[in-house]
Formats: sequence, structure tokens, C-alpha cells
Amino acid sequence: MKLNLHGVNGEQSIEIAGDAPVYRFRLGGAPERTANVETPEPNVYSVLLDGRMYDARVEETAAGGLVIVIDGYRFEMEVRDPRRWSRKDAARGADGLETVAAPMPGKIVRVLVAPGDEVEAGQGLLVVEAMKMQNEMKASRAGRILSVTVKAGATVAAGEVLATIG
Amino acid sequence: MFRKVLIANRGEIAVRIIRTLREMGIASVAVYSDADRLSRHVRMADEAEHIGPSPSAESYLVIEKVVEAARKHGADAIHPGYGFLSENAEFAAACEDAGLVFIGPSAESIRRMGSKTAARQTAIAAGAPVVPGTSHGVDLEEARSFGAENGYPILLKAVAGGGGKGMRRVDREADLASSLRDAASEAARAFRNPDIYVERLIENGRHIEIQVLGDRHGNMVYLGERECSLQRRHQKVMEECPSPLIARHPEMRQAMGEAAMRAARAAGYYNAGTVEFLVDRDRRFYFLEMNTRLQVEHPITELATGLDLVRLQVEIADGAHLPFTQEQIALRGWAMECRIYAEDPYNHFLPYPGRLTRLTRPLGPGVRIDGCVYEGWVVPMEYDPLLAKLAVWAENRENATARMIRALREYDVGGIHTNIGFFRQILEDEEFRRGNLHTGFIDQFLERSDAPRAPGDFPAVAALIAALHTMRHNGNGAAKSAPAASAWKETGRNEMLR
Repeated sequence: MKLNLHGVNGEQSIEIAGDAPVYRFRLGGAPERTANVETPEPNVYSVLLDGRMYDARVEETAAGGLVIVIDGYRFEMEVRDPRRWSRKDAARGADGLETVAAPMPGKIVRVLVAPGDEVEAGQGLLVVEAMKMQNEMKASRAGRILSVTVKAGATVAAGEVLATIG
Repeated sequence: MFRKVLIANRGEIAVRIIRTLREMGIASVAVYSDADRLSRHVRMADEAEHIGPSPSAESYLVIEKVVEAARKHGADAIHPGYGFLSENAEFAAACEDAGLVFIGPSAESIRRMGSKTAARQTAIAAGAPVVPGTSHGVDLEEARSFGAENGYPILLKAVAGGGGKGMRRVDREADLASSLRDAASEAARAFRNPDIYVERLIENGRHIEIQVLGDRHGNMVYLGERECSLQRRHQKVMEECPSPLIARHPEMRQAMGEAAMRAARAAGYYNAGTVEFLVDRDRRFYFLEMNTRLQVEHPITELATGLDLVRLQVEIADGAHLPFTQEQIALRGWAMECRIYAEDPYNHFLPYPGRLTRLTRPLGPGVRIDGCVYEGWVVPMEYDPLLAKLAVWAENRENATARMIRALREYDVGGIHTNIGFFRQILEDEEFRRGNLHTGFIDQFLERSDAPRAPGDFPAVAALIAALHTMRHNGNGAAKSAPAASAWKETGRNEMLR
């Protein structure tokens, strides 16, 4: 079967055939290769490829992506079936809005801007505290603050939208 | 000897102390906040007492609650660990008033050394060199005039500080107001004291500290040094004993050791303490502060000296004499420590709380872990994100470095981001290998290097596993076009794919 992988290196297709533990696969336009893959523990894959051993661990993220960890190296990926419609694809598109999301769970210490403010790239927007560390969230580009959805003192979850810049 | 000791702390240091108490045949009492009922230190202790809500200001920092817990459990003594109330003179006094032995220095010594500004005065009186700075907390005007007189960059530091909290580097006057405000607010939260003082910043200095240990009968020794120059956000992340600099210039050890003891003696110090120095490029050293408690990085001194500092602390608190003289102390081999944090080193070291889905710890020769985590545990967002301290010992620095890399390769923590991979990158770095360390090392390292690039076939294997995992966990192929048995399942599957 054929799947599309979206990761740091962009979009890439992969074709896989075979049955456990032997799989043949082809990455993009590369020649076909064969790997021996066993699953010694849940979400842990032991891979033998061209005589080399790899221990790959898989984590599923809250956003539906996958993180593959091999010998300490992290690969974050989304897997998409090209024959399937994905809402994410439809949602992806330049609407000109920039959302500022909490990078981690924490508490809003200070809100430095209000809707209607013009901000410059790099200007501080909010101060978030987690684990006793205060971090200033800065505007990634210049624009106008369209909304601020939190108040000082609020507890926020990772990924929660705090403000939008138009 | 004490029969029961309460640990007024949490996390890895509480676990560390319980271990020694257990070896000494002393019962342990843990305290915990709402967030910590399932933390390792609580599960491991012989007895435990709930002391309030998750914010430390309502639990671990409340003197009355901790003392009351000790009384209720019939403890003879209290070990404060590091952080929280460990450098709070009122707490030490409250313990003594309640008939509990405080395992640390006297309240009076803490008063003289606990606040950074008071410590500077004590050090100056004892003849130890200090970095130019203000002798007290300042307001914006005073900070401004200090900057104008001494020039930028300057360093804002919390009077009650420690662990880099409430510390800010200021490069120009325009940033002073906002930095001072942020530092004061952080200091107020961490230490309940917003006072900030100012020092001249010594660029690219080395942070080297001396471990001292004194008994209640006037005897004192220094147990070598620790190099703590590798820092991020002004907080140490990696330490070595001995210091690569002092290994090249061994005469510095005695000079710094004696200066440290002079400062400690001036404060009437006993029990374990650490005197921190900044060393400039001409190898001149300046007194920075004294930590009147056990240090986070104490394991490397233990590995290089073969001593158990917690045991010595307990024995000294019980009235014992120091069991050795200065001449009997020798550093052997090389010890190194990495502080494993739940954070993302490639995203400004932002903390990364969450659930640990997997945990495999390194084992084998020369490896020590002081940790508090286990598989399934949720790293709370209320406290410092230190998961564990990984320490190694080997015959020399080169072998210790190789051993640390080996141990880090075995360390697997799933579900959250950690700085494990980042340490491996640093340990491979040529400048690190040459021992050219300074407090700006990590910032410069990040500037001159990229996030680690995976070697050879790693990306191909990752792609194969991502695809295979998706096939196996989405009804053996997301491509299957048979109608879904249930709309709920279909929706769930779509959610998974998003």
C-alpha cells in the first residue's frame, strides 16, 4: 500500500508490501529495500536493515501525528493516505491569520496587548509561567491584534490559542 | 542517633535523602502537596503527610505545616534538601524552637549567607574577592545609575536567589525596566522576596564552586571543587568534578578552598555548604555566593571522594566530629553529571510537562542515577522540571565523557521532550572536549551548531516504522475502503488522522 508522510523533510511517499517480519518498501523514487521488523514490546519496533539494528519507538501525539524515536533522534511525522480526504488538508491554507498558541501547559502571568493594538515582529504579547519559569511569547510578525482569548491568571493547556494577529 | 527524619522537600532530592536514611536505619517521613501524592518520594518513604494544595507557596513553603507534620509523626530532625525552605533562616529557627534538629547550618549562619547581599558583605569582611555590585536590593533608578557607572552588560540577581530564578542579563539600558520587572516578579514567586540587586557581568567566566563541610566543634574541610559552567537560563545543567581548569592548574584548588573556608568560618558555618566562585579568563576568582545547604550536583563530589554527603550531614547534625582531616581527602578519577530535564532544548528550553509513556534507564559500570520518575508518572507543571540526575565516574575526563555518551544512548524517555539528545551533542563537541568551558558556552554552542542530524538510514527507518505503525493501528490499513462499522469509529479514525 502507498502512504504519504509529512515530516521535517517535507512530503514523501512510501510504498510497503509483505508480511511480518519481512517487509519490502520503497521511499519516493528510491530503489526497493527489504527490512526485518519485529515488535518486542508495544510501540517498540526492532528493525534489521542491511545488517544494521535499529530500535524504533513510536509515540502518538495528541494532534494525531507520530513521533518515532531511534537512538535518541526524534522524527515527527504525519501519515496520510493519499486516497482519503483529510480535514487537515482542507484547513491548511493561507488565510493571513497568525495564531499564538501556548507552547506548554501553564499560567498566564501578564497580558501585554489588547485587541486592536498594532504590534511589531518580536514584540512581547503575553507572559506564560510554567514550572516556575516565565516566558514571554513574542509576535512572529507585525500586524494587528484581532483577539486575546485569555486573561492574566488563567491556566492554559498546551496548544491552546491565546491570541490572533491579523 | 535520630530514629526518624522528616524530609521537607520533594522529587529526586527527597528520594536521595530517603536512600541514605534507610541505609542508616532511620525511618523517613515524606511530605506532599496535592500534585505529589503519587510522586516517587512519597511512595518510597516509610511515612507521609499531606501538607496542602499544589502551589508550593501553599504547601512546601509553609513553615508551620512542615513543622506540624514533623511533630505529628514524631520526627527527631528535618532535612530540608535544596530549594524550598532549605535556605530560610526562619525555618531553621522554627525547627529548633519545636525541638527538632535542623540538618544544616544554624539559623544565624543562613541569615549571614542566605541572602546574596548579606553573603557578599560577609565575604568582603573575610577578605574574599567579590564581583563589583550593589550591597542591597535596588529600584529602577539605582539599577540605572549602577549601569551608567559600570557599563553594560549587567546582571540582575534575586537577593534571596538560587537556581537562576529571578536572574536576568541586561545588555542595554532600554531593556532594564522590563527585565527588572520580570526578575522581581519571578523572585517574588520563587522566594517570596522580590528584591533584586545588580552586579557587573563577567563575560564568559567559569563557574567553579567549593564544597565545604564543617562540624559543630569548629572543624572544617573542603571537598574539592565542581565545575558548573555549563548553564542555560542561568541554571546549571552539567557539572564535573574535578574542574578541567583546576586539573590544569592544581594550585588553584587550595587557594579557592581556603578562601571558601574563610568565608564560611566568618559566618560561623557548620554542616555541608557550597561556596560559589566566578573565575575570569586570567584565572582570578571572585566570591559569588554561598549555598547553605546540600547542592543539586553533590553526587559528583560523592563519586570523586567516595563519601556520602547526606550521611555526613546527618551525623554532623547529631553532634559527630568530622571523621577525617583535610590531608585525608583526595579526589580520585573524574565524575560528570547531566541534569535530565523535561524541556525542549531546541525550542528555547521550554519546560515540557506531561505523562511519561516509556522509561528505560542506563545501567552498567560507573553509572549513577538520582531520579524520581517512573513510567506512567505525570510530570507536574507546578515544580521544577528536573526528572533525574545522571552521573558517571571513570578514570579520567576522556573516559568519563565516553561513558556519559554511552549512558545517554541507553536513556529512553517517552511521551515528553527531554534534553538527553542535547547533552550528547555537547559531549561530542570539540570545545567541550578541550575543556574550554564558560557560562556562555551553551548559548554559543547553540549558535554555531544545528539540531542534531540523524545519521545514515535513520530517516528511512523512521519513515518505514511510521507507515507500518499506521497500517497496523488503523484497521490494518488506512486505505481500506470498506464502510466503517460505526460512525463513531469512523469519526475517531478521522480524528486520529488529523
